[in-house]
Amino acid sequence: MQAAPTFKPAEAIWRVRLQLFWRGLKGSWAMFTESKIGLTGLGIIIFFALFGALWPAYPWLMERLAWTPEELEAARNVPYGAISSIYQVYDPVTGYDPLIPGIENPTPPSRRHPLGTNQFGRDILAQLMASTGSEFMLGVLAALITVFIGTFIGAITAYYGGFVDTFFMRVADVFILFPLVSFLIVLGSMIELTLIKLAFVLGILYGFGQITVILKSQALAVKVKPYIEAAKVAGGGHFHVIFRHIIPNLLPLSFLYMMFNVTGAIFSEAALSFFGLLPGIKVSWGIMIDSAHSGGYILGGRSFQNWWLWMPPGIAITLLCSAFYLVGRGLDEVVNPRLRKR
Amino acid sequence: MKRIWQTLTSGMSKFIIVRLLQIILVLYLYMTLVFIILEAQPGDITDIYTANPKITPEAKEAIVKQLGLNKPIYERYLNYLRNFVTGHLGCSFKWGNIRDVPDPVCREQRPTWDLIRERLPRTIVLFLTYTIVSFYIGFFLGKLIAWRRGAIIEYFSTVVGVVLFTVFTPWFALLLVWLFAVNLGVVPIGGFINPDSWTNIRQIGSVDCSIGISCSNIVFNHMLLWLGGLTLFWGIVYLWSRRFPYPWQRNTARWGAVALGLVLAGLFFGGGWLGEIDRVVLARDTKFEFFVWHFEFPAGTIPLFPLALDFVQHMVLPILTLTLISFAGTMLLMRNTMLETMREDYVMAAKAKGLPDHVVRDKHAARNALLPVVTSLIFAIAFSVDGGVFTETIFSWPGMGQLLLLSALEQDYPVAIGSLVFTGIFALVAHVIADILYAFLDPRIRYD
Amino acid sequence: MAPLTTYPVLQVENLTMHYTTRKGAVKAVEDVSFSLDKGEALGLVGESGCGKTSVALTLLRLLPENAQFLGGHVYFFRDGSDEAHARRAVGKPVKILLDGQEHQGRLVEVDRSQLVLDARLNGRTQQIKLGRDDIARLGVDLTALSDEEMRPIRWKGISMIFQAAMNSLNPVYKVGDQIIEAMQTHMPIPIPEARERVAQLFQLVGLDRQLMDRYPHEYSGGMKQRAVIAMALACDPDIIIADEPTTALDVIVQDKILREMRQIQKKLNMSMIYISHDIAVIAEVADKVGVMYAGGLVEFGPSEAIFKSPIHPYTKALMSAFPSIKGEKVKLAALPGEPPDLIKPPSGCRFHPRCPYATEICEREVPKFIEHKPKQYAACWNPLM
Repeated sequence: MQAAPTFKPAEAIWRVRLQLFWRGLKGSWAMFTESKIGLTGLGIIIFFALFGALWPAYPWLMERLAWTPEELEAARNVPYGAISSIYQVYDPVTGYDPLIPGIENPTPPSRRHPLGTNQFGRDILAQLMASTGSEFMLGVLAALITVFIGTFIGAITAYYGGFVDTFFMRVADVFILFPLVSFLIVLGSMIELTLIKLAFVLGILYGFGQITVILKSQALAVKVKPYIEAAKVAGGGHFHVIFRHIIPNLLPLSFLYMMFNVTGAIFSEAALSFFGLLPGIKVSWGIMIDSAHSGGYILGGRSFQNWWLWMPPGIAITLLCSAFYLVGRGLDEVVNPRLRKR
Repeated sequence: MKRIWQTLTSGMSKFIIVRLLQIILVLYLYMTLVFIILEAQPGDITDIYTANPKITPEAKEAIVKQLGLNKPIYERYLNYLRNFVTGHLGCSFKWGNIRDVPDPVCREQRPTWDLIRERLPRTIVLFLTYTIVSFYIGFFLGKLIAWRRGAIIEYFSTVVGVVLFTVFTPWFALLLVWLFAVNLGVVPIGGFINPDSWTNIRQIGSVDCSIGISCSNIVFNHMLLWLGGLTLFWGIVYLWSRRFPYPWQRNTARWGAVALGLVLAGLFFGGGWLGEIDRVVLARDTKFEFFVWHFEFPAGTIPLFPLALDFVQHMVLPILTLTLISFAGTMLLMRNTMLETMREDYVMAAKAKGLPDHVVRDKHAARNALLPVVTSLIFAIAFSVDGGVFTETIFSWPGMGQLLLLSALEQDYPVAIGSLVFTGIFALVAHVIADILYAFLDPRIRYD
Repeated sequence: MAPLTTYPVLQVENLTMHYTTRKGAVKAVEDVSFSLDKGEALGLVGESGCGKTSVALTLLRLLPENAQFLGGHVYFFRDGSDEAHARRAVGKPVKILLDGQEHQGRLVEVDRSQLVLDARLNGRTQQIKLGRDDIARLGVDLTALSDEEMRPIRWKGISMIFQAAMNSLNPVYKVGDQIIEAMQTHMPIPIPEARERVAQLFQLVGLDRQLMDRYPHEYSGGMKQRAVIAMALACDPDIIIADEPTTALDVIVQDKILREMRQIQKKLNMSMIYISHDIAVIAEVADKVGVMYAGGLVEFGPSEAIFKSPIHPYTKALMSAFPSIKGEKVKLAALPGEPPDLIKPPSGCRFHPRCPYATEICEREVPKFIEHKPKQYAACWNPLM
């Protein structure tokens, strides 16, 4: 950055930009709210966000709402496995209810366990809530990395073309054409994947893939606009043009694809943990289904016996995945004028 | 004939050649990526291939030598590439030898290549069947929904579509098993065959399969060949009949070919084929008694079809699951693109030409709406292959996906890596085929 | 029976059609009447969005779902001896030309030698029987046909050259096959013969016969236009509607194609309806001209008469843009203001806000469409005589 003389109106420009941005945002929001699809998705996402945020308060609430003083007293005094705090009951990994003999688990929904307990005595609702936060974090982190890489590579390939373009497009082909979850399965058997590592791996694998191709074609459309030429003539360097002109124009589309990537990341995590390939993750919706399945509670039971073990996590994954997908579809109508209702 | 040749030499063959070259490059990049991941593992690379207590020291040496694991990294890289071409993929840690003559390198263990060769056809059958079925259903429903628009059907199809499109695959598969296999009991819970039906078989055709080679593989390969052969035959007849002057001639040729193919297949599997190839010889009296046709069959033999039926029964549920999961995406996309093409001028022109409604819909609107749908399907192939991994595992269908997951879980690294690479190659080949089919569908692409 | 030198192929009466939109009904076609004779070229002219194309689509019954047909008749005439046409007309409103006289009514039944008509004569409905051989022309009301009954009339009776000829060829089929498809829909013709006919048509419109086995994307704009014209001719239709047939082409090609179309029309003695916003195009090809403004026909008559002395001020204004042969939207120099909003059209004469001759009555009452000069009709309170 060269030392440019400071202008007073610079602040005004900044303010104008903010105003423009705000106006654009308001317009987009108005368009977004027109599609019921997008709003439904957003509603589900907000529901899950609240649901996850409520988790730290859950044992505290249960202590006051569901447990009678006598029960609490009894739980503190059982001969084996007496608890000292309510948090021991609702711990998603090690919790158990001292008032329910181990042999009785899994227990159906009851007052103290609104969604019942699993075969190890863990509270299902506690597990469900405790994993919500990490599912969100993983999904959003992976999608952010994806979008970051995709936007950057897309802009660069479109801007420079030539060898850079060919190389990244072939790399993108690799990631598009090959089954990534299979790859993660094998990778998961070799290294221990934690949530953060998984988010990075997913982010990188998807980031170099289809999103690059899509954003590149968008960037190509931006590249031929007159203001890019104007910026170059005005003496803007490569980086100036890429970061100040091309990338800002890619962001709406990036944001749209981010939604679809969140779906993909959550799905992949659930699948891997379902198959027990993520030993670094102790509690997740995938693991909940897996423990119900491997305990024989799904296929072993006729009619809806034991439904509380496997319906909630399955529905939660499906709902959250479809919520982000729906928001993506809603945004699609905002970003792609082609789809707007005529 | 001349016209076909012209088409081939002008745009099409050039297109195919360029695509193949690109694909080879992509494959190479993929193999390199897998190699880098392998090399980036902590510890010695030889451990990954030989870290199994069941392998004797001599065998270990043989494997190291065969795979060239003791060489410097660049030679290892070249060896790695060569091994995939020649099929030397190491020995499984877990799977024991099942052949009469053990593999010279792997001895008591089963070579990875042998496992992959056995399982790939099963995955291909599953994949092809559900891809075609789900594509057709999605295409058909999407087309209809777009053609007669209505608020209720629109809303309903969107909800069902989105739920099926985003549902957690393994969970959904379990749900279906629970419903159809456990509660309704209409299909087997899982697996490939019902072992009880196969224990009494001594030979199939002239091949003795009571020891060593599995009878099921022979029957399965028969089915596969027939499926492939019939598809090819029908495809050729379809293309050839397009040149007939009258519509009724075309229809006669097409339906005739369908009938002929079905009759031939019926004869083969029903036991009316010439020669011995289709006789299943039983070891002793069996529960297949019901199927023994005493007029034609010597006692103790049965036709192939009850065995084939066994496979089909086991395929129903996996295919249903995969179809339900994947048709929704096609349906939603087809509806959207169809709504767009219906606004095109050539659809209006087709109506103005006085074509019947269904011809306008199918031959003009849907035919063009199909193109973007196929494009997106081509890009979803990798995703479907992944879906196959889950489904095969849940249904214990012994294909590539199950092999991949089991070997990964049991840290049977040679098999895991081998099946990973071949799953990738499989996805790639499917991609190339879909790409070429697309070029046939869209004349514009051939001339770029 | 006296041979007719000229007879109608199409009579449109009081056609009215609206589009329903969220903002309200778009009154796209309002009380339009005209007639077309055998071998005649009619030009419909008017600014973009004045309802010309909607008229064409209403004739062929190709309206989108949100269109509401509100009334009027479209009588499509064929020879009285045409069996399929007569059968189709049973139970429908018909017009019959007999010894230079016109009978109107509902066709009750048809047999080999005669047909029975419920006609209104002397103020009451009565059945009349007419010999088939006496009937010169039988016109059936297309608006009364079902979709399935309408199908044989499309392309065989009335074919169309669409506004964007470029896009009216399906990109995935060979051009020849698309023309053969139209033929085979309407007549049982084997492929070799159909191909021969396509080759003849290609020759007629000036295309190489080799081109029939090519795809649309291999054609240039002018070639596509010719192919579309060949397609419109494929079934030897009674009427061809050409909707802005040359708008997308450059001026030279446009001129050439127009002249060729005119030649073909004369040669085959076909009836045509040209639709254009460009009065120059219409002047070049049409025998009769209908001028449309804001969904209604404001003037109708023989083209020489109209071009020599227009009656309606709007026609005159249109003609002030005459020198432009360019296919662009011309801002009418003589006319202030914009074309009216068809959702809330002006009261009275729809043209009055822009009309330099407007008087107080124009705002209040809709002018009648009447014959001001011989054969020259107009809807105007203050006709330019």
